[in-house]
Amino acid sequence: MLKLTGINRKLGDFALEDINLEIPEGQYYVLLGRSGAGKTQLLEMIAGLEHPDNGSIILDNEDITRKKIQDRKIGIVFQDYAVFPHMTVFGNIAYPLKVRKIRKSTIAEKVEKAASAMNIKHLLERNTEKLSGGEKQRVALARTLITSPRLLLLDEPLSSLDASLKDDMKRLLRSLNKAGQTIIHVTHDYSDAVSLAKRVGVIHNGRIIQEGSVDEVFKNPSNRFVARYAGIRNFFSVKIRNDNGIFTGVTKHNVCIKFECENPKPEGLLIIKSDSIYISREMPEKSELNLIKGKITEIIPSRFGRELVIDAGDLFYVNIITSEFETLNLREQQEVWMCFSSKDVVSLHGNL
Amino acid sequence: MNRNSIFTWVLMILSSLVLLFILAPLAGMFIHTGGKEFLETVKDKEVHASVWLTLWVSFAATLFFAAGAIPLAWLLARKNFPLKNMVQGIIDLPVVLPHTAAGIALLGFISRDGFLGKTASLVGLDLVNHPAGIALAMAFVSVPFLINAARDGFASVPERLEKAALNLGASHSKVFFTISLPLAWRSITTGFVMMFARGMSEFGAVVIIAYHPMIAPVLIYERFSSYGLNYARPASVFFILVALLFFIALRLISIKRKEKHITSDAETDRY
Repeated sequence: MLKLTGINRKLGDFALEDINLEIPEGQYYVLLGRSGAGKTQLLEMIAGLEHPDNGSIILDNEDITRKKIQDRKIGIVFQDYAVFPHMTVFGNIAYPLKVRKIRKSTIAEKVEKAASAMNIKHLLERNTEKLSGGEKQRVALARTLITSPRLLLLDEPLSSLDASLKDDMKRLLRSLNKAGQTIIHVTHDYSDAVSLAKRVGVIHNGRIIQEGSVDEVFKNPSNRFVARYAGIRNFFSVKIRNDNGIFTGVTKHNVCIKFECENPKPEGLLIIKSDSIYISREMPEKSELNLIKGKITEIIPSRFGRELVIDAGDLFYVNIITSEFETLNLREQQEVWMCFSSKDVVSLHGNL
Repeated sequence: MNRNSIFTWVLMILSSLVLLFILAPLAGMFIHTGGKEFLETVKDKEVHASVWLTLWVSFAATLFFAAGAIPLAWLLARKNFPLKNMVQGIIDLPVVLPHTAAGIALLGFISRDGFLGKTASLVGLDLVNHPAGIALAMAFVSVPFLINAARDGFASVPERLEKAALNLGASHSKVFFTISLPLAWRSITTGFVMMFARGMSEFGAVVIIAYHPMIAPVLIYERFSSYGLNYARPASVFFILVALLFFIALRLISIKRKEKHITSDAETDRY
């Protein structure tokens, strides 16, 4: 379907570097990255609004790198929707058909069909300046989908919607993809990626730093940046010691963390998910576990219970459910034991 | 009375003085013009011809130059090119030049010895002392108003809308006529009205190019220098009233046009 090879593009101080990407037909591909990572520039390049300095863009075995925007059959929905303010909803959705000089009766028919699919038929006569963000987005989507694009590009489509509209929009995007629409969706939101993507790519400073299925990427993050996206907050730069086949990472504050690894390097980065750490007020007796004593410095209410910040020389972040928190009767400044398996410690390679 | 309100009062008094400075001479002129003299001037065919000439020549000059000024404004708003700042400076030059000097410069260009004058004389047209020459003099000093207003209008159109239109299959010219131009329309109209108004009030450049046929500002000057203030005043009042009427009418048309453009979009698209 879409293949990007060796795409480079310099834009002032920023550059997209060596972008290689292959997206098969019917894919829902989420490109995840912070603002300024180069997501929008990459989308605009695929759409033809920008051109790469070098590299090639192949769509359905056709090189479209220098092809005119109008002939690419790639639809893009911008973050701010770019709904034409001087036209009604009807005028907006009909625009791509009008510029293609399609008969007026056909336009009216197609616009009504597209508006019905997006549940905005009742808004057709309305001025777009009075629409809500969610309605504008549906207008922008209907306007793009009416051209039957081979590939649909979405730039942060959920970023300015409230929670209930977000769920509706996610449902709509999933059903579009189920109907066979290939989608590339860029976002800075990890939860969007998890809930929609079949495949995800993480872009950072103009480079795609990891790519794979959602599980592959977030269960085995290749570096600290990707791990942060997965919500992991426990990162430790360590020197690695081999004690008769048992590997131990020693932090700069001499906290020792046992972990499992095949070929560790002398130095590395260890990460531990906040949910993998168990709290005990007494020292547990299981010796195969990592057992680290620390003092609770902060208790922060969270969605499912509490987040504990524990100072054990290095700071650890631990999630605990409300019932367990109440049973243990935890307070700030209390000393507790943290227990976690060596299997729950991930050693990162590559760019630390 | 608190300190804020004293400050506001000071601002209001200063503002009123400026407004008074503008309105007092005009009001004085209206007050000192007798009804009888004014009615005689209204019936004066020479005054009629002069006012009519001023209006249509300025309007024609604005229309004619808009064809080049609007594309130039779009280029300045959207494209970067070498010496862009210099081009911008050249556009503003007529505003800062003494208008009689502008007239002299233009005369050299459109007289029979000048390039444009020679070219025009090939088709039997002498631009000096001709409405076409007057139009050129008016446009020379007033076209920056249209270019600058239109440029600001195009610059205020989000580029993303143009990109979206391109992505939806529109050609560059279609994007210009269906997106950029309608969205910049209000600024362009303002520039159009400003250019028209500035053109018809021009005296310095026009008097060098064409004393005859007489446009209204030249006629007023001629009556003043030949017969004095009392004779020039009614013609001035009449010209100001006509110009105001024209100015207000153009403003109303442009506002209605914009409203119509927005509200009737669906109907024109569908039927």
